[in-house]
Amino acid sequence: MISRLLMTLQVVVPPPQKLGAVPHGTRLIAPIASGTFEGPRMRGKVLAGGADWLLLRSDGVLELDLRITLETDDGALIYMTSFGLRHGPPEVLAALARGESVDPSKYYFRSAPRFETSAPQYAFLNRLIAISSGDRRANGPVYTIEEIL
Amino acid sequence: MHKLEVLEEGRRPISVRRRDVLKAVAASVVASATSALTGGAHSAGADDLATGKGTAMNSRPLMTVRIAAAPPQKLYTVPHGIRSIVPVTGGDFDGARLRGQILPGGGDWLLLRSDGVLELDLRITLETDDHALIYMTFQGLRHGPPDVIAALARGEAVDPASYYFRTVPRFETSTEKYAFLNRIITVGVGETRPDGAVHKIDEIL
Repeated sequence: MISRLLMTLQVVVPPPQKLGAVPHGTRLIAPIASGTFEGPRMRGKVLAGGADWLLLRSDGVLELDLRITLETDDGALIYMTSFGLRHGPPEVLAALARGESVDPSKYYFRSAPRFETSAPQYAFLNRLIAISSGDRRANGPVYTIEEIL
Repeated sequence: MHKLEVLEEGRRPISVRRRDVLKAVAASVVASATSALTGGAHSAGADDLATGKGTAMNSRPLMTVRIAAAPPQKLYTVPHGIRSIVPVTGGDFDGARLRGQILPGGGDWLLLRSDGVLELDLRITLETDDHALIYMTFQGLRHGPPDVIAALARGEAVDPASYYFRTVPRFETSTEKYAFLNRIITVGVGETRPDGAVHKIDEIL
């Protein structure tokens, strides 16, 4: 699959709201406090107010369902959503849960972001399919987002 | 476009190791924090990518899906754009790890947006040759130059490299043998042919 770098995105995640067992699995809601993004074609910050609606499924896979607003350094707003999956060996996931730093190649953490914007200079975002590779760090995840060419 | 076509024909020349990408990212995050202060340039890795050269994402073929469809139900202008619903009548799929038939009864709920981009929203059921059922959905985008899109609309055969047609398929199954499908992110490269659509789907590793 041919791709090119769109941006790296780092979000700051305070402790999640733990809703416990719900009909589809174990629900966690992680509000996004802030963040930054940077790439060859765009850069800026993540506005407060978004969140990641996490669902731990019965097969041990964590589903991610992120909604955030990006603000570029030239003042454009971009609505970003991302559906993803995270899973790995139990000891690796346990280390992540303890907030330890873990080599991201030890687990699977991929998502498919989508974008909406009215800013002409970023309208290309409305028209592309993207894939992201995640690295869950202690203070929040870092995503490498690539445009699928 | 030519370059992309060559790359796609050759298929995954040298995959950039995911770990290397993440290392580069870590470096670029640090570098960007520094450059924000100093007004400096991006990291070397980001500069390479900024030249516009594509890189090979770490992926492997999952399957090729060929969809047979009935004529679209044209609902015309609705609040979000122009809606067409395409009933899926059949088709087949095959890959190294799975193969079988598409059951009739699914569909693709197409929306032509005001910016000229066609949004796809597919739901179908796959039946493998060993009788497992797999629920498949995807969302996708298709767009291209007006003359190319017009040729597709006339039902002509068009080089798929001349337009953008990409999807993000998802799967659900209860069959243990195919449970790996529940756990992967995938990307499809689509082609609209006179007799239906063909999607080459890669697993993102």
